[in-house]
Amino acid sequence: MTAQDLKERIRAGLDGTVKEIVEPVPGQVYITVDRADIRRAADYVARTFNARFLITAGIDKRDTRGDFEVDHIFGLDPEKMFVTVRSSVPADDTRIDAITPSIPAAGWAEREMQDVVGIAAIGHPDPRRLVTPDDWPDGVYPLRNDFPYGHRPEPVPERPREYLDPPEGASVLPIGPFFPVLEEPSYWRVFIEGETVVGCDYRGFYNHRGIEKLGGTIQTYNEIPFTAQRICGICGFIHSTCYCEAVERAAKIEVPLRALFIRSVVLEFERIESHLLWLGIAAHILGFDTVLMQSWRIREPIMWLCEMLTGNRKAYDVNLVGGVRRDIPRETHPKILEVIASIEKQTAELVSTIPGDSTLLLRCKDVGVLSTEDTRKMAVVGPPARASNVDIDARRDHPYSAYDQIEFDVPVYDTCDVLARIMVRMDETLETIKMIRRLLDRMPEGPIMTKIEDELPPWQEGICTVEAPRGEAIHYVLTGPDNRPARWRVRAPTYPNLQSVPLALEGVQIADVPITIGSFDPCFSCTERVEIVQAKTGETRIYAQEELLELSREKSKAARR
Amino acid sequence: MNDWWPIALMNLLLVLLLSPLLEGVIRKLKALIHSRKGPPFTQPYLDLLKLLGKEELRSTRSFYFRVAPLAALSAILVAALLVPMGGGSPLGFGGDAIAFLYFFTLSTVAIVMGGFATGSPYAAVGSSREMMMVLTVEPVMAIALITAAAKANTLELGLMSARIADGQLTISLVVAAVALFLALQAQLGKLPFDIPEADQEIMGGPFVETSGPGLALFRLSFFARQLILGSLLIQIFLPWPAFEFIPLNVAVNLVKVFVVIILVGVIDAVVPRLRIDQSMNYFKYVIAVALFGLGFALIGQ
Repeated sequence: MTAQDLKERIRAGLDGTVKEIVEPVPGQVYITVDRADIRRAADYVARTFNARFLITAGIDKRDTRGDFEVDHIFGLDPEKMFVTVRSSVPADDTRIDAITPSIPAAGWAEREMQDVVGIAAIGHPDPRRLVTPDDWPDGVYPLRNDFPYGHRPEPVPERPREYLDPPEGASVLPIGPFFPVLEEPSYWRVFIEGETVVGCDYRGFYNHRGIEKLGGTIQTYNEIPFTAQRICGICGFIHSTCYCEAVERAAKIEVPLRALFIRSVVLEFERIESHLLWLGIAAHILGFDTVLMQSWRIREPIMWLCEMLTGNRKAYDVNLVGGVRRDIPRETHPKILEVIASIEKQTAELVSTIPGDSTLLLRCKDVGVLSTEDTRKMAVVGPPARASNVDIDARRDHPYSAYDQIEFDVPVYDTCDVLARIMVRMDETLETIKMIRRLLDRMPEGPIMTKIEDELPPWQEGICTVEAPRGEAIHYVLTGPDNRPARWRVRAPTYPNLQSVPLALEGVQIADVPITIGSFDPCFSCTERVEIVQAKTGETRIYAQEELLELSREKSKAARR
Repeated sequence: MNDWWPIALMNLLLVLLLSPLLEGVIRKLKALIHSRKGPPFTQPYLDLLKLLGKEELRSTRSFYFRVAPLAALSAILVAALLVPMGGGSPLGFGGDAIAFLYFFTLSTVAIVMGGFATGSPYAAVGSSREMMMVLTVEPVMAIALITAAAKANTLELGLMSARIADGQLTISLVVAAVALFLALQAQLGKLPFDIPEADQEIMGGPFVETSGPGLALFRLSFFARQLILGSLLIQIFLPWPAFEFIPLNVAVNLVKVFVVIILVGVIDAVVPRLRIDQSMNYFKYVIAVALFGLGFALIGQ
């Protein structure tokens, strides 16, 4: 199906409700409908084309057009296209029908839009606050244009957080906000009956850093890649690539092929590094520290290699809009091949022990099952999706960088359990090593950067997805007039994956809860970018904590008597 | 019976002063398997000293919570006085095998009571897991000891050891020794059976609220278990060669206990943790095997 066919089918299918349908960038179709028709249009696109929900962006366009805009972005994987269903929302009545009732994957995206842009999703099944803290005043929305960067609203006295009640007869086992094997703050209220999990409630968004606001108000196009690199401590290069390519698509910048190859090579280094890191953590969760130590030992040379090539072990910072800042010269290729060959050998050895380890199999086989149906329903991405027989991979389905220049396999398993998630990642690590060989082999000569002389044209849009080790990251960029994006929307892969974890947890034993959560390779801070760090409210909170501490100490003193 | 006290003193000193070294050996061994350097052998001693010097924070006024560490260690020390460690059983009496099992279990019960008293959900889950473990592991120990009792025709541990040393290794003794060794892994809180503590799941289970000196006593009681159960296994089931000269016999026992503990450490390093239901299932089979061994003992094998 070509984009032209798609446009015609949508026009026919939504008879008369489509106000405008455009394709500014090849493969990226934007459909504008009336506010009243948004649910029908989104539903139609999702069902007719089997489209996968990606993310919702609420955009404040009051300065230029006098209204707000809501964009629901979908991916059509077999057709290699993105379809955005959008609608205008008047500034004096910021409400729109929620699409979550028919598209459950949009649950968080719409709650986030309510919290930060202040467009209410009417009919949302769970309209609780998601990202703003408890003492954030009602009616203050940080991503609106009249909210200046760094503004600190007066905190309201803390109201109790709305938690879900456990089912009748179940008790609550708190996991978090700080829990030894989940390295970042996240709070799972696990409802248990005996040792069995009967439900759970998640609260996250403890680590907001206001990155989207920073990108839209303070930083310029070429400063943002360095911020994007720091969205995640593990897959940072994914975010900077994703941002740069979204801008390049929007502004139609031709990037030299050599630069694209270099991006792909570094992205694949990051995948090896991340998968081996994850394997170690997963083994540690199971109490299997020998695998933790060995897989991290195997991983270390790739860090040294990246340091040699980019100057940094982790925050590579080689991306700019228009290309890359550092070459991977031909003299370094033998060293790279040597390191990846030794990693390939050791990883293959480690992987070959998995099917023979009966205790490990007992803990991973048929544990934390997420059915193929649920996986599609919640739009899960990355290895968890491929472990549940959903064959999606942004590298193949929505090619970026140099992935259309080489061939590669995408491992898919159909057992839907923790073991499948381990095997998908390990197979990917070995496949990635082959891909690096092909990329180095076919890397063309030439420049690594396009010089951009003029200002980028404003009000152009671009979407890019990048297959991170954890799944697919999405960046949407709307270019603006002041040498910076007017709106930069980031969705990390953990965002959809975390929403599906409660489904995978249902019915497991307490002992399986950490490995089930861990098998999704969650990266909590990645999901938490939007809100502004509040020094002042922070102080109030610290005070509250100190009070608590004081109370706790008093109680200890009393206990000692 | 006026020469029992030097042996008793020796047993207590061995348990209190030498057992942390066993833990140090296990840690070093794990580090080697991990490709790490590992802490020095003396680290467990330093850990204990550090904990003893710390402030004890209590999250509850419960009496059980306060006495649990003391009770756990005291019960283990009494058990240490009943086990022969190369010099016979210092406080031995007819039927001390039963008393030994009681005191050993009492230590576990103290941990469980202390855990439940905290009111922490992690401790509650850990304590209930500990009870489930006891229900399946304790019978294995009991059956193994009854097998030896049947062979030696006595319920006195010291006498049992001496009589078995005079006899031959039989099928029933081998089976009982293997069953006891499998129970050892669980009683010492080592992988794959460190389910009640499970740091990564329930943050130390019954011990989650214990700190400072209380935690030191709990730790020491677990270190002591290694020496006591190791000696039990060696002295009852593998007492050969037995020497008349007590210091030599003690030294040989210690060497053999180290070998047992090294085996325990290797297993600890190469397996992940089981789930409680899987572990209970596993010990059902071990009980069945141990009963077979007992059957062999009854027909004189």
